[in-house]
Parts: sequence; C-alpha cells; structure tokens
Amino acid sequence: MSAAKTPAPKRTIGQLIRRLLLLDLFKGLMVTFRYNARALYEPRDGGNPNQAIYTEQYPLEAARVSERFRGAPRLNLDPENGSTLCIACDLCALACPVDCIDVGSIRREVREGEKVNKKKVLTTFTFDTSRCMFCNLCVEACPTDCLELTQSFELAVYHRAGFRWDREMLEKGINYVRYAK
Amino acid sequence: MQAILATLLLVAPDWVVSLTRERRPNTFWAEYILWPVIQILVVLFIVLTLVAYLVYLERKVSAFMQARLGPMRVGPWGLLQPLADGIKLLLKEDIIPIKADRAVFIIAPIVSVVAALVVLAVVPWGAAWATIANVNIGLLFILAVSSVGVLGLVLAGWGSNSKYSLLGALRSSAQMVSYEIGMGLSIIGALMFARTLSMSGIIDAQQADGVWYVFFQPLGFLVYAVSALGETNRAPFDLPEAESELVAGYHTEYSGFRWALFFMAEYSGMIVTSAVAVTVFLGGWSLFGLENKIKPLAFGILLGLTLLVLAAVVFRGSRRAVNPKARTAGAATTILFVILALFAALILPRWLNQDSARVLFSVGVFAAKIFLLIYLYMWFRWTWPRYRYDQLMELGWKWMIPAAIANIVLTGTWFVLALPKSQGGVGLMHEVNKRLVPNWPWGIAYFIGTAFIVTIPIVWLLLVTINRRSRDFNLHEQRQLQMQLRRERLEKMLQEQPRPAEIAGQ
Repeated sequence: MSAAKTPAPKRTIGQLIRRLLLLDLFKGLMVTFRYNARALYEPRDGGNPNQAIYTEQYPLEAARVSERFRGAPRLNLDPENGSTLCIACDLCALACPVDCIDVGSIRREVREGEKVNKKKVLTTFTFDTSRCMFCNLCVEACPTDCLELTQSFELAVYHRAGFRWDREMLEKGINYVRYAK
Repeated sequence: MQAILATLLLVAPDWVVSLTRERRPNTFWAEYILWPVIQILVVLFIVLTLVAYLVYLERKVSAFMQARLGPMRVGPWGLLQPLADGIKLLLKEDIIPIKADRAVFIIAPIVSVVAALVVLAVVPWGAAWATIANVNIGLLFILAVSSVGVLGLVLAGWGSNSKYSLLGALRSSAQMVSYEIGMGLSIIGALMFARTLSMSGIIDAQQADGVWYVFFQPLGFLVYAVSALGETNRAPFDLPEAESELVAGYHTEYSGFRWALFFMAEYSGMIVTSAVAVTVFLGGWSLFGLENKIKPLAFGILLGLTLLVLAAVVFRGSRRAVNPKARTAGAATTILFVILALFAALILPRWLNQDSARVLFSVGVFAAKIFLLIYLYMWFRWTWPRYRYDQLMELGWKWMIPAAIANIVLTGTWFVLALPKSQGGVGLMHEVNKRLVPNWPWGIAYFIGTAFIVTIPIVWLLLVTINRRSRDFNLHEQRQLQMQLRRERLEKMLQEQPRPAEIAGQ
C-alpha cells in the first residue's frame, strides 16, 4: 500500500499573471497609500476603527471606554434626599470572591413618619481597590442598586494606603490631583 | 567697508558680479576656494536639516499608514520634533564600553558619516553653479566612496566588542557588499547611452537624447531601485537592524551623538542613492526642457503654490491637536507659510533674472524627484514584510546580478544593431559631439520597444531558468515532504514485519 501522494497545487493562469506582475505587492502598497492619503484630510474621531486615524490623545482628551466597562466603584445616593441607598445588608461583601469589601453597620432606632423602627444603618464602607478584580458580582448582588462600578479607570495612587477607599470616597468619587502646567 | 565689498565680490558668482561695475579682484580664489566653501556649507546645512526632517517625515508617514498620529507634542503638528531629538542626542552621555576598542569605536561612526557626506560634493543639485564639483568621474566617485561606508559598519561591529554588534556588522557588510555588485552593474546599461561618468554629463546626454534613461533601461532602473534598498539597509532588506528580531545591529553599543552620526549616514545615504537614481534614470534636474523656458515670475508662483500646499497640510494636521495652545501655534505656522508663499510669488521674482530662476527651478525639480523616490522608500518600508536572510542573499545573487548582467548584454546587442550605417549598423543613431544619439522618433521608439517588449521577457525567462529549483523555497512544503517520506518508510517497515496485534489475533 503506497501513501497517498498529495499533488503539488497547480497554479491557474490568473495566479501566474499575478505572480509575474507582482500584483500582490502593489495591492499591499495601495492599502497603505490609501491610509496615508486619508490621514491628510479626513476628520479625526479618536478610537473609531473606521477612521483614518485611530489615536486617542489620552491625557489631553477623555479616553473612550466601552459601555459595559467596569472601573472605579461608587456608592449611589438617593437622588431625592441625598441619603445613601445602602441598607447595610452585607450581600456585596458576601458575594465578593476576594473579600475586598467591608461593610460596617449598627442597629438604630429610625423615625419613619409617625412610627419609630429599629433598623440596620450603614456606618462605614471600605473597598480595597488593590484587591478588587472588577468581576461585578457585588453589583449584581446589591438589592438597592447602590453599589456600582463606574466607567472611571484612573485608579493609580502614590502609596498603597490610597487603594483603600472609604465611604466618603466611594460616595463622592476619587479626588484627583490636577497639575496645572 | 571696501574690504567687505571686496570679499563679497570675491565669493559672488558671475551673475552677481555682472550686476555691479566692479571687477572681480582675484578669480582663482573665488572660483576654487571661497565659492566652493560657501557651496559646501550651504549643501551641508540643507542636507543635514533635510536628514532631520526626513526622520520626522518617516515617523509621520509610518504613523499615517498605521492609522496613528505620529509626533504631535513638540511644536505645532510635531514640527519641532527633529530639533528636540537633535538637542537630546547632543546632550546625552557619551558611553564607551570598558571592553571596547576605544580608537576603533571612536573612528567607526566618523568613517561612516564622512563616506556618506563626501559624495554630496559631486551630486548635481541643479543646473550651472548649483553643483559643488563637476568631476568627470562623478558616478564612479560616488560608487567608490559610498562603499567605504561599509568599513565604518565593520569597524563599529568589531570595535564594540559585543556579539550583537559583531553579528549585525557581519550581516550588514555581507548584504551591502552583495547588493553593491547589482547596483554597479545595473547602471552600466544607462552609461552605454550616456557615454560619460560625469553626473552633469549624464543629465546633458538625457537632454540631448530627449528621453529619460528609465525608458531605455526599465530593467536597469528596477534592479537599481531594489539594490539601493539593500545598499542603504532599508526595509524590506533591513535585516542588520531588524527591530523585531535583533537588539539593534552594528550600532548596539552606540548612544548619543555617535549613534546620531550613524543615523545621519544612513539617511544621507538614502538621499545620495536617490540622487544617483534621479541623475542616471530620471533626467536629473531637467523637466522636459521646461527649466530653460521658466520665467522668474512663473518660478515664484510655483514656489508660492508649493508653500501654500505645505501650509494647508500643516493647518489640517495641527487642527488634530486637542490642546488649544497647539492649535494656535499651528495657525501661526500656517500664516508664516502663507507669508513665505506670498513673498515667493510677489517679491522673489524681482530679485531673480532669467538665469538664476532657471537654476533655482532646476534645483527644485531635482529635490522633487529625490523626494518622490524617498517617499517610495518609506512607502515600501511600512508596507512590505522583511526578507529572511537566505531569501535576501538569493534575491541579490540569483535574481538581481544575473538580471543586471543579462540587461547589459541585451542592451549592448540593441546598441550595436542600431549603430550608424557607417559603423555597420542599421542606422538608427547619429553622431553628435562624438556621442551617438538615437534618431527621433524611430531610434528612440526602437530602444524603448526593445527594452520593454524584448529585454524584459527574455531576462524573466532566463531568471526563471536559473532559479527553477530554488523558487518557492517553502519551509512548510519541505516539512510536509519530510513527513510524507517518513510515513512511507514506516508503512514499508510495517508491511515487512506484521503488527504485534495481528500476531495475537491469529
């Protein structure tokens, strides 16, 4: 039994002419030339793959992130009265696979209209951004849409202590140092 | 005052002297010392600035081809980037490795840059006085001196005492030496028509024939262009400094100004090889006889239009900046360019006479042709992938050199056949000033026709015959072949002695 010999692929005449006139090389040249010509006159729209120029001039202009990007955490406030939406249920801390959330609460009597109820109230909320892997499990666990991962991604700080975000930072956002030139 | 005037008269070219009533004090000094020194300074200044801006252009072109912006931060549209680069390189620490051979290490970049800059002396930048030295062996001089540049690379690789440098130097010297042969052979066909090695002589010959030699020698031009890419170590033949594969090649251990010297040598080498291609094949500074008819006003308007186009490009580019200061600077630069354009169109023509307009226009034509070739270099570099080393050598020795030799033989045959009847040919040429000029129109049609219709197919067939076994050198195919042979061998073995399972089954 002889092995099935794979015959060398035969060139068609079209391929031969292509090879003779080096058409593939010129095809490549035309692609780069088209980009070069377009870059001279087309308006720029940073981050758009169909544009002649893709570059985002990031520190000078806002970088584009996708719609579902998960970045810096935030504790949302009730837009009506400005109090926190967090009910200190601890579900986010339980959901967190890396234990980077710490919820502090006390039981306190809270006046709601005429009744006085004993309720769990949020005191502290610590979020360790150095350990967080932005998996979004805490956000999915949150019953009141209080905890949210925003699209802000500038999380770098000068020392490790800065990675521990307290309740105030989480509600107001990180206080960036802006250097005037 | 008198002394200053006398010195000025000494250095002024004839057309300036003819405007005054003074007589030139001493022609020898003016002709052979002072005027050449001024020319050298001007050419060096312009070429070195050009080299700096070629780097900028290369970065911009590569950026545009890859959908990026390129330098944008230094000056409007990054226009001052070459200045910043230059200052950075000058101020950098000068590092010489302890184990390096100090003398060789220091000499190498000097050899390289001197070899690259000396040849600028014989390049015909324009008509009449726009050439530093009109030597009658100009082309030979350029080929000879620019190959000394290889010595600089070898010295750099050896003197650095580093394995990366040595390997890079070996690769680049092997490459440059092998491509030099093809380069030298490819221009011989054109020299058969020109009958001279003088650079301006070649341009004059093309004017006399009425045809650029690229039409008589399409194959020669092709071989020259490919060899020039190999000679200047540029992509797709940039193996000596392949960024993605090697550390840097022969200049691994160099930094600061010494490295800048190598860089300068490379880019001025680009300018020189393009200048030779323009001179030998593309008619040099001539443009269909237009340079003899140009009026000062027409020249001024052309220059102004060129500057306006530049202004538009700079304006469009600087609008891409986000930062408002950069946009203002861009607008200011645009206005500066527009003012320069107005100056060129309105005031400059009054200062020029017919002759100087002609010379300046010819310089412009030469520069435009060089610029086109250099853009072609950059275009190739940012489009085509790099050759493998064996492919590079194969292309040099098995394709370029045989093609150039066959081209010489065939061109010689066509030339002999077309000799005047008195010399035993068909009579498609006649003699002018001891030089054979093809007759208009049949002689020219004959040479163009033979070059395109007969020479190219014959050379192609020849090359295919030479390379019939080495074409499609394909590693994948070879591996498939090995695997198939092994499979056949194994099956043969199995046929001879039955499998253990079969024995057990019985």
